[in-house]
Amino acid sequence: MRKSLLIVVSLLVAASLVLSGCGGKTPAPTGTVQPAVTAVPSPAKKVVTIIFPQEFDTLGPLYTDMWFAWATWQLYLAWAWEFDENNEPFPKLVTEIPSADNGGISADGTVITMHLRDDIKWSDNVPITADDFIFTWQMAVSQQNTVSSAYPYDHIADVSAPDPQTVVITFAEPFAPWLATLWHGILPKHILQPIYDAEGTLDNADWLKNPTVGCGPFLLAEWQSGSFARFERNPNYWSTPAKIDEVFIRFVPEAQKEALLAGDADLGTYIPYSDVPDLENAGLKIVTEPNGYNEGLFFLDDTSGKLGNPGLRDVNVRKAIVLAIDRDAINRDLHYGLTKVPASFWDALPYYNDPPLTNYPYDPGQAKALLDAAGWKDSNGDGTRDKDGVELVLQYGTSISKDRQDTQAVIQQDLAAVGIRVEIQSLDADIFLATYGEGGPAAKGQIDIMEWSDGPVFPDADIYYWLCSEIPSADNPQGSNWFYTCDQKLNDLVALQSTQVDANARQKTISQINQLFYDQIYWIGLWQDPDVYAVGPRLQGEKFSGVTPFFNIADWDIVNP
Amino acid sequence: MTRYLIRRLLQGIPLLLIISFILFALMMNMGDPVANMGGRRVTRSSDYQRLKRQLGLDKPIYIQYLYWLAGNDWTKVDMDGDGVGETPGIRLGVLRGDFGTSLVDRSPVLELIGERIPNTLILMVAAEVLIVLGALVIGVYSALRQYSLLDHTVTALSFIGYSMPIFFVAMVSMYVFAVLFKRWGLPYLPTVGMFDPQVGETLGQVAYHMVLPVVTMSVVSLASYSRYIRSTMLDVLHQDYIRTARSKGLNSRTVVFVHALKNASLPIATVVGLDLPFLLGGAVVTERIFAWPGMGRLFLDHVSRGDTPVVMGILMLVAVAVVIFQIITDIVYAWLDPRIRYD
Repeated sequence: MRKSLLIVVSLLVAASLVLSGCGGKTPAPTGTVQPAVTAVPSPAKKVVTIIFPQEFDTLGPLYTDMWFAWATWQLYLAWAWEFDENNEPFPKLVTEIPSADNGGISADGTVITMHLRDDIKWSDNVPITADDFIFTWQMAVSQQNTVSSAYPYDHIADVSAPDPQTVVITFAEPFAPWLATLWHGILPKHILQPIYDAEGTLDNADWLKNPTVGCGPFLLAEWQSGSFARFERNPNYWSTPAKIDEVFIRFVPEAQKEALLAGDADLGTYIPYSDVPDLENAGLKIVTEPNGYNEGLFFLDDTSGKLGNPGLRDVNVRKAIVLAIDRDAINRDLHYGLTKVPASFWDALPYYNDPPLTNYPYDPGQAKALLDAAGWKDSNGDGTRDKDGVELVLQYGTSISKDRQDTQAVIQQDLAAVGIRVEIQSLDADIFLATYGEGGPAAKGQIDIMEWSDGPVFPDADIYYWLCSEIPSADNPQGSNWFYTCDQKLNDLVALQSTQVDANARQKTISQINQLFYDQIYWIGLWQDPDVYAVGPRLQGEKFSGVTPFFNIADWDIVNP
Repeated sequence: MTRYLIRRLLQGIPLLLIISFILFALMMNMGDPVANMGGRRVTRSSDYQRLKRQLGLDKPIYIQYLYWLAGNDWTKVDMDGDGVGETPGIRLGVLRGDFGTSLVDRSPVLELIGERIPNTLILMVAAEVLIVLGALVIGVYSALRQYSLLDHTVTALSFIGYSMPIFFVAMVSMYVFAVLFKRWGLPYLPTVGMFDPQVGETLGQVAYHMVLPVVTMSVVSLASYSRYIRSTMLDVLHQDYIRTARSKGLNSRTVVFVHALKNASLPIATVVGLDLPFLLGGAVVTERIFAWPGMGRLFLDHVSRGDTPVVMGILMLVAVAVVIFQIITDIVYAWLDPRIRYD
């Protein structure tokens, strides 16, 4: 018995040692050079190490909307057009950006014609043609594929190819946001069509996790789940080859600052503001890039009058709230002065924030006066204003993060000073963002002040939350108008702008919406929420975009490799 | 003993079924996996409806549990939203060895778990060996030298180690031994990861990267284990049969390690036996801080996104391990104490 037990224990220990040698690896793609895992790189090899605090869930376009996946698409794929450090579009796979002037947009705005470059190809030397674009659209709208979003491809009536270098996209109705939303990575038809034909779906295609071919300056060489992904220079790249040999992306959820301070990476992403002083003191460069997102407060302003505190249905109460919050102090004290208060939802799109709005000042005295004039007074001496027997107590909810919890505490104090009592709710993101059908508290109208980071469909100006048709209910459990606001003028303007392909006309419509937001206090900006990078001293030539983050990675270089 | 083992294994089956249903029901109420699929934005309503239908999340919970357990290849799935099932299901179910695919990245659950288990076992087994051996040495010595200076020192350090939260130990040790030591020109340890990707996954690299996470986990647990061993040893050392053994002229080493430790180790076997199955679950905090690609991180990454198939796979693995290791613990009991028989 004793001997048997010793044998069992010994086998367990041996098994764990054997298993340790079978560490999980995504096999390197076939058809590429297989570098020895244990090989020590030659001294002259240029390698950039980037830290991602979150691992991408998949590499396949259409199947994810994670920023961390988007950023890798500039390494091994290409968009039809990409966006530079000023978030201006430039042609990538196309010869020029379609416009009304060059005949790329039809007079009624429903037909977009793209002309592809004739020198673009996949890394296996198969040319990229219009067929790849048609295939991408078909896969996006196929009911057999569990793509993360079919938008905007589900707005397209047809995609055709009069010749291999021409793609004609026909929308059912004029679709203004096409430039910002179309062709974020193209699927290789010659690789994936056979898989779709055989299996009836792309969901299990190995290419989504292990892209064997690509059309970017790099190709995926290895992806170890939970550990790192390695990209090597694409030897068959159709454009100017990359200067660096390899890109390592390490997945480090918590200790990114320590890893950067120890020199274990050249670039950090999603840097918290609290880490900026230490990183700057250690010689790293902090770069911020607008991405259209701003942190802000949204109000439950239920037009039907059934949900939420009645105080919020009065624009003067909402105005009092914005005057009572010292937003500059939040930016100064919580974000070390690295961010500013955005006056407009379109803060990062100056073309649409024209004429530019100015922020409401911090003026608690005026806030109190407005509340008094609106009839909200502390009649029972409990420190909280009331009216017609209703206390001005507001539920203030957001998802869990240190920044947001700190902000909630500050705002709670600021509003208490003017007689508004705030009860704080901090919820897990998947609970806070759950829909009406899933019992999400914000969606069900249980939270008066909601906070999250949002913006238009950057770099486009499109928004859609404030449509009356988006108000959630039992019949519309996925509605996204969690403010329950049905402002008919706002509704009509929001619906109109998404169909205005003419930029000037759209600019005028968005400007009206901008002003309405400001006058009716439908949204209060707290801080601009750009992408924040920490750049190590070895990295040169880097630029970042708020849309296609690593758009010029082929030009990056390493000094003193 | 054989009949006992068979009986225990059979008893484990309904227990695991009950555990699986309770865990499944809890996971279903822990958030909406589709809500976050829009990236930084709320998932659009049209995509939301489609994804719920395609992923089978629009079904009642008992149907979802049934598909998880027994598969759905005996029915058809409505993928196109016309209300009629037209696509044959492809899931075989847990009872046939198919734990499904991740809702987050569509990878097979067993493949995801299989990639991470070896990494977790390396870390956890090393930590457990260090903890048990270290605790034995410290606990026995403290018991033999009760109230000595060393005993008081070890007691004080034990209380300090036991009181410190593990994330604090992890962050401080990383900052000191990885960041500051490197800055000061001293030999230093790596900050994160299982190995340096630029060097490769060699034995030396893995061992080098294991030092900080293993020591971090050991500091906290060593304290409690050593106190426990000290306490049980003190109980045993004052027993009559120990006095008899000494008076018979047995040397001190034989008295301590053959007679005293063996009797003192029975409760220790219980504690270690309870701990062993949880090695498979990994150390959530440690793995996250040191970016160790193990089961703990897998669990945390997927539970935060409401990825029920992956979380259920991990939890059921741990549940099965608990059942099995409880049986092993009982066998070890019988070996340690000949008076215990299960027939």
